[in-house]
Amino acid sequence: MENRKRERPAFNRDIAAAMKKHYSLTRNRKPLAHTLMSSNPLIEVAYAAGIQPAFPENYACVCAARHASPAYCAKAEAHHYTQDLCSYCRNNLGYILADDMEPPSGGIGDPDLLLLTSSACSHYFKWWDTLQEIHRKPLVFVNTPRVMDPQNMPDFYVDFAKEEIKCAIGEIETILNISIAPEKLAHAVHQSDKTVAYWQKLLDLQKCIPAPLGLSDLSNALFVLIVMAGTKEGADLMEKIYHETSLRAAEGKGILDRDEEKHRLLWLNIPFWYNLKILGYFENRGCAFPMSDYCQYIWGVTRMDGNNPLEGLARKSLSGELNSSLDDHMELLIRDIQAYHIDGVIAHSNMSCRVLSVGVLDAANIIRKELNIPVLVLDGDHADERVYSEAETMTRIDAFLEMLGG
Amino acid sequence: MHRALKIMADVVQNAPSVLQDIKAQNEIKMIGYFHPVFPAEILYAAGLHPVQLYPRLDEPITLADDHLQTYLCAYLRAEWDQILKEKRPYLDGAIIPRSCEAVTFLFQTWKRHNPFDFIDYLNIPWKNSANTLSFFTKELQRVKKNLETFIHREITTNALSDAITLYNQNRSLLRKARRLRNAQNPPFQAIDIFNMVMSGFVLDKKEHTRMMTTLLSQIEETAVSPEPSPVRLLLSGGCVLDTRLMDIISAAGALVVADDFNNGARSFHPIVTEGGDALESLARAYTTVPCGFNTAIKDRFSFLADAIEEYAVDGVLFAINRNCETEKFDYPILDQKIRERFEIPTMLIETDYPCAVGPLQTRVEAFIEMIGGKER
Repeated sequence: MENRKRERPAFNRDIAAAMKKHYSLTRNRKPLAHTLMSSNPLIEVAYAAGIQPAFPENYACVCAARHASPAYCAKAEAHHYTQDLCSYCRNNLGYILADDMEPPSGGIGDPDLLLLTSSACSHYFKWWDTLQEIHRKPLVFVNTPRVMDPQNMPDFYVDFAKEEIKCAIGEIETILNISIAPEKLAHAVHQSDKTVAYWQKLLDLQKCIPAPLGLSDLSNALFVLIVMAGTKEGADLMEKIYHETSLRAAEGKGILDRDEEKHRLLWLNIPFWYNLKILGYFENRGCAFPMSDYCQYIWGVTRMDGNNPLEGLARKSLSGELNSSLDDHMELLIRDIQAYHIDGVIAHSNMSCRVLSVGVLDAANIIRKELNIPVLVLDGDHADERVYSEAETMTRIDAFLEMLGG
Repeated sequence: MHRALKIMADVVQNAPSVLQDIKAQNEIKMIGYFHPVFPAEILYAAGLHPVQLYPRLDEPITLADDHLQTYLCAYLRAEWDQILKEKRPYLDGAIIPRSCEAVTFLFQTWKRHNPFDFIDYLNIPWKNSANTLSFFTKELQRVKKNLETFIHREITTNALSDAITLYNQNRSLLRKARRLRNAQNPPFQAIDIFNMVMSGFVLDKKEHTRMMTTLLSQIEETAVSPEPSPVRLLLSGGCVLDTRLMDIISAAGALVVADDFNNGARSFHPIVTEGGDALESLARAYTTVPCGFNTAIKDRFSFLADAIEEYAVDGVLFAINRNCETEKFDYPILDQKIRERFEIPTMLIETDYPCAVGPLQTRVEAFIEMIGGKER
């Protein structure tokens, strides 16, 4: 198989421009809130309030891709944030503590406000608490519960989440001495929902053979889905991404040509942000990644009604892969493995992401046994490349591809 | 050693067989749970025997590796390993609280492999507000209802009220034992407090309360030995199971006078208001348990600062398990705050399942010597 640089969809350039603008705004626009990505209802609230959100977690991905994370992580470790902690957190704390490094993309500004939800893992609670200690800025916390059995979720969970969001809005208004107009919140929720609608249609297009997009394209588009959730620019850009992809699908155009695409693989867990070129290595061996659980189930799974924004945001905060039972998750995976014609699975056992990694071994066993599909488990980390062994990983991938017939 | 202390030590040492005997003699169902954030009063009121889950340290981890990666908490992996090996035949179920991610998501693995009849999950709030209190109360109602379905009978208001009274009494005795550590020469070693607390996770609460009452009434009458005051340490971390750490500290000439462990002071922290709505009172009290995963740094520091002042602590030893992310996350700022406010030395040691004693001993001895303990 030829090793070549493949032509990526044009929308990647639009996303790059949007990212550049976002990072510029995080340094120049006030008030700035540091917030998180996972099923976070406060993103839409922030945009509706005229607050510029910044995402230390997304910035950690940027740093990892630019190979700056090891130095930032080492800096955090020098301040006793040990390697047991998520490398996104260490990256961020190292970034704050380091004053002798040129930050990738210019960096992100210091926050005026910290916006937290517990939709993500417990690390975020500790992380934002630490940020509050460091920055001495107000923290607004939506303490959503973990939903372990979505099919039997008690009604009071939604009511509780709504009340949490309502209280958070009140706190933000008091802290910033502003009033968040209901129509602005409704507009943000409407735009967010529009973005989600196009995202879901986009994912559906990936069932086509060949897959119109690669995993790196989808991962790029996540920026629009999450960071720009609630903005018209985000909704418009996602629409554009969808239309371009739709055209590619109609033309039978994939990242790989139809006769090149020998295998369709599923990536479980977060990619190695510092080594996305590994996806090109797979592509050069005839393997496409039409889907990943990371793109498919964590974000963009909840449709919201702009006429009932609190209800929509509450449901958003209670949804996603982290609010799922293993049985439901496996049911989805098995359904999609079939729908996307998957014939092999790469499972990243990600030592920095316990929420996505506890259960990975179970999932791997179930996929092997119930679907008779080979699964390769790779040990690694999403941002800290120091714990990643290139030689070991590539040896295992080569053996896997040989077994798969690649 | 006092007879009651000897019994408690034996109970801890032989917990599985003690539990097996309790089950056989009383024909009682037993429910395990993790962390002191779950109000075990509800189980007690249900006529169930609550067992706070901790692994034995004498078993290599083998079967759990199929489900839980080595970068997850070794205590949790060991506990799950021992469950898979059917070393908990007395258990009929478990309740898993939202806490660290390893424990939280074990619920899914547990449910899938379903080793016992009952399994439930409890969301624990991570902040204290009217809304979270109301939510936690409803969560407790939900779990209570599920337990009622399991036992095929109602958990009555009176039973709940009695359980709260009993648990309050028990915790009050443990707090009394804790306060006795404040003497210049405390009557208890760290290992004694460890056994008092850990035996309470095994024995019937009435039995344990009787034992504690007897122990404390006799200890109070015992004259304090006129030994010179050793170095007074506070231990902080998730939990320590390997008691060799306490032996090392003691041999180095220091005394653990206070702790901040799940299997220590945190476990008898809640004071539940008696009378009124029992579940709401439980929710209100258990929200205050200062575990790492549910408590903000400022509140954890407040808990530690009170102990440092009250127990005239000379140094703080953070003994944190490898891969315990919540404790590790708080450590740098807690450490800084303690040094700044109290100007006392601190040190971090990493514990494991089990601990590597050699390096641990060297570091702990050096730390204690630096503070003013024995020179080696």
